[in-house]
Amino acid sequence: MSQISSNGLKTDSKRLFKDQFAKYGVMTGGVLVLCALLLIFFYLLYVVKPVFNAAHIEPRSSVSTMANKYVAVGIEEQTEIAFGLTDKGMVDFYNVKGSGTGKLITSVDANIDDNIIAFSSSAPHQGQYAYLNEHGEITVIKPSFRVAFPNDVRTLTPVITYPFGEQPTPALDLPAGEARNILSRGEKTNFAFATDENAIGIVYKTANDDVIFSRLESEEDMFTDELSWTSYQSDLNFVTGTIQQLLISPDASRLFVVTDKHIYVANSRDGEDVQLLYTVDVGRNAATITTAKLLAGANSLMVGYSDGYIGQWFETNSADGRAFIQSRHFQMAVDTEDKAVVAIYPEFYRRTFTAVTKSGEANIFHTTSEAELWQGQLVDQAILDFEFSPRSNAIVIYSAKGLSVFKIENEHPEVSWSGLWQEVWYEGYPEADYIWQSSSASDDFESKFSLVPISFGTLKAAMYAMMFAVPIGLAAAVYTAYFMAPSVRKIVKPTVEIMEALPTVILGFLAGLWLAPVIEEHLPGVVLLLILLPLSVFITAFIWHNLPTKVRNKVPAGWDSIILLPIVVIVGWTSFALSPLVELWLFNGNTRLFITNDLGITFDQRNSLIVGIAMGFAVIPTIFSIAEDAVFSVPKTLSSGSLALGATQWQTLVKVVLLTASPGIFSAVMMGLGRAVGETMIVLMATGNTPIMDWSIFEGMRTLSANIAVEMPESEVGSSHYRILFLAAFVLFIFTFFFNTIAEFVRQRLREKYSSL
Amino acid sequence: MISVAPDMSNKTSSVIDLNNLRDEQIALRIKELDLYYAEKQALENITMNIPKGQVTAFIGPSGCGKSTLLRCINRMNDLVDTCRIEGEILLHNQNIYDKSVDVASLRRAVGMVFQRPNPFPKTIYENVVYGLRLQGIKDRRILDEVVERSLRNAALWNEVKDRLHDSALGLSGGQQQRLVIARAIAIEPEVLLLDEPTSALDPISTLTIEELITELKDKYTVVIVTHNMQQAARVSDQTAFMYMGQLIEHADTNTLFTTPKMKKTEDYITGRYG
Repeated sequence: MSQISSNGLKTDSKRLFKDQFAKYGVMTGGVLVLCALLLIFFYLLYVVKPVFNAAHIEPRSSVSTMANKYVAVGIEEQTEIAFGLTDKGMVDFYNVKGSGTGKLITSVDANIDDNIIAFSSSAPHQGQYAYLNEHGEITVIKPSFRVAFPNDVRTLTPVITYPFGEQPTPALDLPAGEARNILSRGEKTNFAFATDENAIGIVYKTANDDVIFSRLESEEDMFTDELSWTSYQSDLNFVTGTIQQLLISPDASRLFVVTDKHIYVANSRDGEDVQLLYTVDVGRNAATITTAKLLAGANSLMVGYSDGYIGQWFETNSADGRAFIQSRHFQMAVDTEDKAVVAIYPEFYRRTFTAVTKSGEANIFHTTSEAELWQGQLVDQAILDFEFSPRSNAIVIYSAKGLSVFKIENEHPEVSWSGLWQEVWYEGYPEADYIWQSSSASDDFESKFSLVPISFGTLKAAMYAMMFAVPIGLAAAVYTAYFMAPSVRKIVKPTVEIMEALPTVILGFLAGLWLAPVIEEHLPGVVLLLILLPLSVFITAFIWHNLPTKVRNKVPAGWDSIILLPIVVIVGWTSFALSPLVELWLFNGNTRLFITNDLGITFDQRNSLIVGIAMGFAVIPTIFSIAEDAVFSVPKTLSSGSLALGATQWQTLVKVVLLTASPGIFSAVMMGLGRAVGETMIVLMATGNTPIMDWSIFEGMRTLSANIAVEMPESEVGSSHYRILFLAAFVLFIFTFFFNTIAEFVRQRLREKYSSL
Repeated sequence: MISVAPDMSNKTSSVIDLNNLRDEQIALRIKELDLYYAEKQALENITMNIPKGQVTAFIGPSGCGKSTLLRCINRMNDLVDTCRIEGEILLHNQNIYDKSVDVASLRRAVGMVFQRPNPFPKTIYENVVYGLRLQGIKDRRILDEVVERSLRNAALWNEVKDRLHDSALGLSGGQQQRLVIARAIAIEPEVLLLDEPTSALDPISTLTIEELITELKDKYTVVIVTHNMQQAARVSDQTAFMYMGQLIEHADTNTLFTTPKMKKTEDYITGRYG
């Protein structure tokens, strides 16, 4: 580092400074790059990590002195106020958070006829409760909370609202006398209701075991605001056996009658003509059904048995049309002798549910991920009612001890490592499958997060691009480096390299909006071109080779490739000109229809062929440039050595030049692959972004990168969807990291092998 | 000034009268050869006979065309786009520049070793059999035999016989150059062209190669280009002095180094230029 200057052994301090500055400057730069990479890596992991956190429950507050006994409890969205409904139509509101915890805020009387004979609650997200009086009249109430901001402080005022008016509905046709008593107080099993805008569906069991469905439709008078009611009624005489549970889907379109051995599913859209859709024998030897409940979204029916077994049932397509089938099951993991599931409590919007036993043991499951999220005893009493808060961040339990509120951390129950990479049987699907469908219009949609289809799409897109780019890129590289005249090479190489600078958004745009329709319209022409072009090139080369030297010498050496240009143009034009004829002759005049109808292959306009061509076009410069350098830098002495031993140009190329250039050629292909895997804009614009798993060249795909680009703007920060998109980014990172590492590793190995050249 | 005192003590071959060669004594006839790189003439009217079973050395200052002439003999100049050749080189009374001549076959008959060792990135064994494989010879016994014979003839066998299947790139420079010679003689050429074969080697390797060249002339006609006049004096039987693309003098080595006819030759061998 230090130099002996002419006037002694003194170091030139300026030079020393520059030297040190350069040394540490370079080092800092390198370390910073490494840090940035690690930072990205760890940030991705940091965002993804909570997805795999286990559920956690801790007690928060409790109310032990109760003003009344309740038939149902609930908690509002802010988890500040819990409420209980009595069998007399009173609603008591308790403060369960902050100062004044445990105090009764207010009691509101819903003013219902005293002689209430039945009570039922709706699906959790509807938040409605119905009282049926002895005249057969129904009053639907909904505990609500008015938000006000006096002095900039949020205050909640509990009130009761009446979705169908304060006046009860017209009387149902109830049987007379004792039989009228359809329900012993406090139970909820023999009466169920659901509301849908202006209609109420009710199903109830009479004391003579008749099951009746009624549909009440209201119409509001435009001037007086009074409701006029029309009622329809059907007797469900197909039901036999001991009824365990009556259920109606929230829109009152499906009826579920669960007896101790059977499930009856009926279509209740028409109140006068309820049609039985399925009768399923769900008996399991000695075990009997003890309870049943619809999950959020009302597609899945969870059926609990006396031995702690819980089955999930839903409607799906099968070989014999629609069917009601069981997809999976859970088993209560409790220590007690009596494992019978006495009740199942679903969440508002997600597929999480709690099953409880008689002694108060609770098990929390999630259907999609098939995960047991939590198990234990929250209160050492029988659980009388159990409700999740609307945001699923709290639980309220009503038992002999009063109201207990728990805090629950269960942000991502639907995600599990196995669910991301294995087939999952989603609601409504005939079998387990890999599905990516992150959102839909409804809140209670079952998210389908399988990374398999989009990882598959990434590899498929890369594969088709490589199928297009590798032969062309490598052949061009070898020709340019080994055969082409230096003067032509000087033009060709930079030209191809400039292609790399073309923004991929333009390539994607052209591919999606121009190329895709053109190829769709001239498909036979494109196929013809793919066959004729290489063929004509070979034929031209052959003819050229056999031409007299006199003719050949007219073209300067190395420029002979130029004569291919008109050939390419002519063959291209001919192929497209022949396209309609071929179409008429082979494909009945319409290739698209022929492929779809006669061959039975799905044909998308934006398909893998388009992606292969467009992305191949983007990858060719990468492959070409690196491979060309590799071939060109093979020492001339080696090829001369081979030629001097009597090898032809071709033998020299194959046996010596390509062998020696192999590290470079390999890394060219891997760099191309790395680029194809990470490429976003082209696949985003030139594919249909359909996350399907099919190798078909006529179908599209969705790649990891395109998926992130499409869905990131619409995912809620911190949601499972958001975190899984980060996971997708992480997977993509690993993909490219993997390909580049392999490329570098192999290149190093090969280079070592040929290092002394 | 370089003093040149050629050591002629190891000269064993009988002196051949270059001007009165019998047909069977001639390996190559070069007749009125002109060579142009684009417009520039690099060789001018070269006419000479190269005797069979002898070592002929081309000497001369840098850029005199000696390497170019050597490369004409197996048509390596064909690889240079702008190169144009007039005149004839006869091998077995056939002009190698005739259109009917297959260049690959010609190069099998006229092998060449380059300035820098250029073994292929393959094993020692594969390097030697490369030329045979090109001809489609696959018989293991023949290949094994040729490998041993060629390596023995190239004085390399004892050094590498235990590691024939190791990479050739692990050999030293001198060993690599002998391997390249073995590779060239494996296909049994009639003529072996050596283009400054020792210029990239250390003195001991150079000595080994020189001894090897002396032995090779029993089987092959050797043509060597060298910068080093002592080397020419040591290994060659005939020496051709070239200057500015012209053949100035061609005589048996003894004569040329002791009693050169031409002034230019004398100037060169006494070190006036170079």
